[in-house]
Parts: sequence; structure tokens; C-alpha cells
Amino acid sequence: MSLSSLTRPWAATSYGFLDASAKRELRRKMLKAIAVPGCQMPYASREVPMARGWGTGGLQVTLTLVNPTSTVKVIDQGADDGVNAASIRRFISRVSGASETWDTLAASIVQSRHRVPEEVMREDQILVLQVPNPEPLRGVEPNISIARQMHADADYGKLWLTLYEQIVRKGRIMQGAAYPSMVNGRHVMTPSPIPRWDVPKLNMAKHLTFLSAGREKRLFAVPPFTRVEPLVFSDRPYRVEDHADLTCRRSGVSGYFMNELPIDGGGSAFEVSDSNLGIKAIQQAEGTPVEIGKTWYRNGEFSA
Amino acid sequence: MLTVAPPDAVELRANATFEALMWALSRPGDIRDMPEAGFSAVVETLVDLECTVFSDDPDLRAQIAATGALQAEDVSQADHVFLSSLEGAEARLVALRCGSALYPDDGATLVAAVRHGVGQRVRLSGPGVDGTIEVTLGIASGFWAMRAMLCAYPEGFDMLLVDGRSVIGIPRSTKVEVL
Repeated sequence: MSLSSLTRPWAATSYGFLDASAKRELRRKMLKAIAVPGCQMPYASREVPMARGWGTGGLQVTLTLVNPTSTVKVIDQGADDGVNAASIRRFISRVSGASETWDTLAASIVQSRHRVPEEVMREDQILVLQVPNPEPLRGVEPNISIARQMHADADYGKLWLTLYEQIVRKGRIMQGAAYPSMVNGRHVMTPSPIPRWDVPKLNMAKHLTFLSAGREKRLFAVPPFTRVEPLVFSDRPYRVEDHADLTCRRSGVSGYFMNELPIDGGGSAFEVSDSNLGIKAIQQAEGTPVEIGKTWYRNGEFSA
Repeated sequence: MLTVAPPDAVELRANATFEALMWALSRPGDIRDMPEAGFSAVVETLVDLECTVFSDDPDLRAQIAATGALQAEDVSQADHVFLSSLEGAEARLVALRCGSALYPDDGATLVAAVRHGVGQRVRLSGPGVDGTIEVTLGIASGFWAMRAMLCAYPEGFDMLLVDGRSVIGIPRSTKVEVL
């Protein structure tokens, strides 16, 4: 055995930025995350050239998955052209040689902050969600060791209690984003701060979802065809946002999740949150041949 | 300006192998193709000095030693177990690490050479399976009884069944019914 047989040839950078040992650790944890859906798996969370809390968890998962034949879409609150999304997408393609896209249908990996695309994702696609706070119990149990014990015991009574208190105080459930959801009937997870509108898209989906929190160093997964059930009381059905009747002022589409924009003199205008869906709708109206995939919501009703 | 380092052969193989393993575990019962036959690419993809590995194959033990991983004397210490045959392995595998409800990720990964398409027919259901799927695997029904005893979800072990280049994944979340 010689020194050269123990080392690898020198290279200026590792492919995909992360070094081989970081990727192996992520791969082991990603396999375990798939095996126990919704259960938070700790991982080392290496340094990436971006501040923690700006999507480093999602970025590390994407960098582990990516190869030169991948096509990457990155969205931030539904938009492909936000600074954060554009920077992450450019970084991924620079360090991996992967193609960039804005089109959900063309992507093999979709990294996202706070939204799930409106077009139905296929069985060969991977959704990577950036998670700021992976612990659904954080609000009711600040001690993470006790929270872990509560997950082990499937003791989610305090979460049910907060939902009940919201109903008692406000008359309805006020939880807008990161709605706690039961995965595979065992672990409650936070689906990252996606709106209530997007949670049903994860239930029995065709695609694979990874949720990764770089700052908190945990990742979890929702495999295809896995039950993701928002916590609801049997006499209070789960309600998504009332966006079914809103129309986008730019593209004219309606029945999708909208951004609300305050306008001068009061009132508000609406724009479709999944910006590339809006762009495709405009292109289609102008007569450009463009394919809009089947969407999860049709006429404002969830129907997957 | 940053120039992209092209992936070397090891990285390409590890990436493609992981993709096969990931989709295999995501869709239990589905057959995925790895770029290379056998265990050596799996070792390359998953194992390094943070792991404790048990293997019954001397050649593979040499490769595992080169990764810097600790070699376990018996399966109870190992987080990755590589077996060239599951026949009569029940007595040994009963000591397999299954993690705890507190730390389900401590459950072992069992990589075993198993013939696909011959032997016992089983029906799989659970996460990753749309309804149910039936597969035929060269695993005796006694093994599945032992697995059902050990895998008290979320505790349990996850299986990657390799036949040449093909791999079938059966995570602990899958319910296996012997037909």
C-alpha cells in the first residue's frame, strides 16, 4: 500500500461542489428518510457558499442528486426569477453542468421554497423543498430532546390542542402555512411553509419529495404513494385558501393559488403565484405553441 | 470564472447507483438497474469511514477496508450488512440492528444477493406502492416471518436485494405478505 493508492488525483473542485464524503453521508440519510417517511433524520449539513437559512438544506440534496443530464428548476414562492431562486439555479448548473429550466414539465429536479408547482409532477421527478423549521412540535415543545421523545411515542396531543385553541378563539384554524401533517399514519411532519393549498399535492403523489433543513441539520422525505394527511378534526374539514374564484390580472387564469397585491386607493389585485404557469398561459393566449400540463387543481377544486 | 469539473468515473457511477437505490426504496418491488453488477458499486456509493460494516465475502471485506469503514465481527454491530446469500441466514440476521423509536435511522441497511423472479411469491403494500404489487424473490418464507418480528415500525431494517445489475428495495415501511 502506498500513499498514492490511498488518495485520489488532485482536482481543483469536486463535481457538484460537495465532496464525496458529504455526498455519501447525505445518500445514506436520504435512503433512511425514504424508509421512514416523515421522520426527521439528522445529517451533518456542510458549508455551501450561501448563508444558512437561505435554502442550504435543499441545495445539498439537489447537489447530491444532480448529474450532467439533470434539468433543474428552482422556485421561490412560486417564481423562477426571484434573486434567491435564480442564484441557486445558476449555482447548481455552474457546478454540475446540469440544464436550467423554468418549466415544471421539463425539470427532473424541482427545488422549491414555499410552493409546490401547480402542474402535476410525474413519477420520474423529484421535488426538493427547503425547510426553515423541520420540527412541527417546536411551537409546543421547545426542548428538542423532549420533542424527539414525543415523536417516538407518537404523542401529538399538544399539536391537536393548538389547533383546537385556534378554533375556540378565532372560529377557524388559523395555521396558514406549514400545516402539520401525518405521514404514513405515524410521524407528523411540517410540509415546509407551503400554503394549505399545496398540502394535498403531497398526498399519494406520483413524485418523490425530499424536505431538507440545512440550518437545523435534518432531512425527511415523502416517497411516492404515501399518505400525507393534514391534522383535522372529523367535524371540521380541511380547508384550503379561498382562491378558487380569483383571476390573475396578467395572464387571466383562475382557480390557482394567487399572490395578493395591494393597489392604490385600497383593494387588491391578484397574480398567479406559480409564475411560469402564468407565463405559459400568456404565451398560449398569444398563439405560441406551449404545453401546459395537467394541474392538481381544476376550476379551483383539488382533483388529482 | 468557475469552470465545471466534469464528474469522474467514480462520481458518475456513485450518482447512478444511488439513483437506482433511491428509486428502488421509493417504489418497493420495482426493479431498478444499477450501472454495475454486484455489491462493489453499492459499497462505493454508501460506505466510508463513518460506517460499521459486516460482510461475509472476503473480497468485499478488502474493498470495505480500503474505504476506512470499521469491519464488524457480527451483524449486531453493523449499520450496513452485505450478504452473498440469505439462505439459512435467519439465525445470524435476528441480531440485525433495528434502531429505536427515538432513533429509527440506527436501523441497518441489509444488502443481499437474491435472485429476482424465482422462488417465493410475496405481495407488497405500503408507502411507495400504489395499492399492492406482487414480486417473486429467492427468499424463504421463514425470513419474512423473522422480518415481521423485527420490524416494529418505525423500528426495523431496510433491504436492497441485488441480482446482477438489478436491485429491488424493501424498506421497513413495506408490509410483506407471503403468498
